Amino acid sequence: MNISQEFAPPYKLVIPYFIVGVVFYLVSIMYTFGFDVSQLHYQDPAVLAWVHLYLLGFVMMIIFGAMAQLLPVVLEVGHFGVEFFYVIWPLLAVGTFLMMGGFVFVPALLPYGGTVVLISMLIFIFDIFMTLRNVKEFNLSVTTVLLANISLLMGIIIGIVMALAYAGQIDVNISALLVAHIYLVVGGYIIISIMGLSMILLPMFGLSHGYVNNAVKIAVSLMSISVILVLFSVILSIELIAYIGYGLSVIAIIAYLMQIQTIYQKRARKIQDIYSYSMILSYTFLLLSVLFGLVFFFMDIQKFLYLSVWLLLIGFFSFMISGHLYKIVPFLVWFEKFADLVGKEKVPMLVDMVPDRATYMQLGFVLIGIIISSLGILFSNNELFKAGVSFLFMGAVFFMYAVIYILKFESK
Amino acid sequence: MATKEEVFESISHVKDPEVGFNLVEMGLIYDVDIAENGNCVVTMTLSTKACPMHQLIAQWVKEAAEKVEGINEAEVNVVWEPAWNPSMADEHVKVAMGG
Repeated sequence: MNISQEFAPPYKLVIPYFIVGVVFYLVSIMYTFGFDVSQLHYQDPAVLAWVHLYLLGFVMMIIFGAMAQLLPVVLEVGHFGVEFFYVIWPLLAVGTFLMMGGFVFVPALLPYGGTVVLISMLIFIFDIFMTLRNVKEFNLSVTTVLLANISLLMGIIIGIVMALAYAGQIDVNISALLVAHIYLVVGGYIIISIMGLSMILLPMFGLSHGYVNNAVKIAVSLMSISVILVLFSVILSIELIAYIGYGLSVIAIIAYLMQIQTIYQKRARKIQDIYSYSMILSYTFLLLSVLFGLVFFFMDIQKFLYLSVWLLLIGFFSFMISGHLYKIVPFLVWFEKFADLVGKEKVPMLVDMVPDRATYMQLGFVLIGIIISSLGILFSNNELFKAGVSFLFMGAVFFMYAVIYILKFESK
Repeated sequence: MATKEEVFESISHVKDPEVGFNLVEMGLIYDVDIAENGNCVVTMTLSTKACPMHQLIAQWVKEAAEKVEGINEAEVNVVWEPAWNPSMADEHVKVAMGG
């Protein structure tokens, strides 16, 4: 086993993903000030615009950047074409803005935005698949990368078909395709990617040892099957298959959370820091999201579905990403600025590069913001929701400050 | 001729920037074998196979070993068996980590 540092992509190639991703996070939080939670509907163009702004501009942007950096570590081979990553983020950013314009202002823009996003993702997927060809050992992490990217490919193809239909160019049932699109991209790509990456990152940062991976293997398998079942239910128009898929995805997430709990219990680093607190909150919101999803399933009250999705996006994804950026960005900056100085002069530890106060302010504001805005959704109360969003906005400002602080860090 | 203790002492100045402890007190340095000609082999491990600083840390260890008077050339052999576990760390490291 030889995980080579020379496989690591250049600093200037990876960093834009994290900077642009954080800017998109701030913009997407500001966008939610315009939501009317008393009239919330998942097919409202304003809601669709926000979901794409948040998921493409923030979540996917950060995942792509993380993949650029971590894939050589996970796969133990270099990227097939690391230079591709210079064009992926600009295309993704431009495509996301065009899609937003399409949803909110001119529907005809949507296929163009979708196509630019598609090109960006096809370049990404091409690099991943070509890189996977050089992998010698197919372990759990490699398998999740493969499964996730197959899902992404199918998800964006369905997305383009939907964009063409939305713009009036073809006639298909958008509602039916929407479920498959969401499941392939969110369940199949984002969740499975997180499952795979977290099996590398969580034990690494927590120094967890002496545990087995059986629960996450079950989780990845069930999540993959659930995505396939939901896709088939759309193709065959058999709703029962979709329900089996939904049920399996709930079991998959519970199995995954059990695996996370095992890793947490087996960690050697028991001192809590901003990373561990962020992870605890992230997984707590994932659990709450599943619970509210189940409440919606059994009671069929739409606002519980919105609450479930809100907690998944703003709770689970945002704390997962912010917590990891407080680890990954300092490492990248340290490697760029200080690695060569080791042994020659005193260099900072990674923890010294993270502004404690700002990160805890971010965590606190976002946590309070999620609680208040969730109550706003639950009671269909716009004032409450906007009060919550104000806290989320402050959290986003502190998040951006913390990332800039780390990027500009100089040894004293 | 340099001693094993001198090489361990020199490597003890190499810190893992993520955890903040040096490699010796973490229990990551398994053995140092010094040959008659002054060449040495450092057998070590890392806390995780996925460590992105794998090569960098190995390079620091090599440089630290070669700083010792009497050592000509150092070779670093990173092994995964026996796998590192927290019980290999010094007592004060375990305490500092909250163990």
